[in-house]
Amino acid sequence: MQVFLNLTPSYSEHELIAALKDRDNEAFQYLYDHYSGSLYSIILQIVQDTTLANDVLQDVFVNVWRRIETYDPTKGRLFTWLLNISRNASIDLLRSKDYVNSRKNRELTDSVYGIDQVTQTGTDSIGLSKFLAKLRPDHRVLIELAYFKGYTHEEIAHIEDIPLGTVKTRIRTALLQLREYLK
Amino acid sequence: MNIQEYISSGIIESYVLGLASSEEGVEFERACAAHPEVRAARDLFEKQMEDQLHMQRVAPPREIKSRIFSQIGMEQPPVKSEPGIPLNRPVLIQRSGFPRFVAAASLVLLLGSILLNLYLLSQYKHSIAQYKELLVSQEELTNASRSMDTKLESYEAAISLIKDPRMAIVKMPGVPTSPAPSSMATVYWNTNSKEVYLLVNQLPKAEPGKQYQLWAIVDGKPVDAGVFDLTEGPQLMKLKTIPIAQAFAITLEKQGGSETPTMTAMFVMGKVTG
Repeated sequence: MQVFLNLTPSYSEHELIAALKDRDNEAFQYLYDHYSGSLYSIILQIVQDTTLANDVLQDVFVNVWRRIETYDPTKGRLFTWLLNISRNASIDLLRSKDYVNSRKNRELTDSVYGIDQVTQTGTDSIGLSKFLAKLRPDHRVLIELAYFKGYTHEEIAHIEDIPLGTVKTRIRTALLQLREYLK
Repeated sequence: MNIQEYISSGIIESYVLGLASSEEGVEFERACAAHPEVRAARDLFEKQMEDQLHMQRVAPPREIKSRIFSQIGMEQPPVKSEPGIPLNRPVLIQRSGFPRFVAAASLVLLLGSILLNLYLLSQYKHSIAQYKELLVSQEELTNASRSMDTKLESYEAAISLIKDPRMAIVKMPGVPTSPAPSSMATVYWNTNSKEVYLLVNQLPKAEPGKQYQLWAIVDGKPVDAGVFDLTEGPQLMKLKTIPIAQAFAITLEKQGGSETPTMTAMFVMGKVTG
């Protein structure tokens, strides 16, 4: 009767991964309870819509359940893998046809402010806003386009009309500041 | 390659956040394998980022969790698509959400079944008790019905006797000297068969050890016509056959009757008319 002896389990990362690969329901509950809030905050920052964020979060965890075998511990921590799955799923949603169509009308009115204005206002309220606020504006725009919008360095160079090398340098510099901020 | 410069170039953060190009990624993974300090720096950044995002977490709506678990609960664990890795956990299928749900549902059904059985057992016992009560009361009713039938038959017999046109009716009012002057009785005397039937309209209860006796008065002499006891309800009692009589009377005599009537204990008397 495991159902009734539900002591809150605690897992080391190694144990958790092993239990997840065993499709252990309790381990998956733990995974959700432990990480859903962090992932949800990132998803919200990217998709900017609660209903869409709910759907993405659901898809992420269902996919994690299905594809836990594809996680490779040598490439990073479990949370890093989850975070990248969440970010990719969110950006995929932003790029999906339905989403683009639904946004078209709104963007017509938003377009006068330019893309940096739009993204800026979107991320102010939650998550990494404290960190982003500390960045120089020209760095902040690049992080938002690269991380939260998922554009490649080449695309950003084109959008912002600056050399590719400058994009790379600024992003690296901003990321190093992030590391300082996290310490 | 200067390892410290590489570590502080921003490649770690780019890689971890998914911003590195694929060539950069391959190179970084190689560096991690070759240089423990690169791997250690990556681990540290990952841990710091995880902690930071944990502090900034936003709780998703509650129903998302149940949506997720109901979705994965309906799925069996997927068969691995990667070739060459043996699927060595057949037993673990039992631990997935759906069979556990089935186990829980079975338990609930079992408990429900036990409770239902207990309920039905108590209902059965109750019904048996009710059935026995009904049997008893049905028997009582049958007995009552039988006694009613008997009474009815005797009434019917009495009526058929009375309605016979050859039946002479002799009314016997109470005599003034009787202990109970308001007494009354009626003799039905078949003029053909000479059979005598007596109906007691009203007589006081006989004293213990005594019995009423009917007399036929033939040519001024009393002739014994039989003794009788008072019965519950009106009843026509057949007494002795009397061939001829001018009157009938009732006296209270000793048990079994007397040779001659006790005149002081005469209750009723009536003359045969016509």
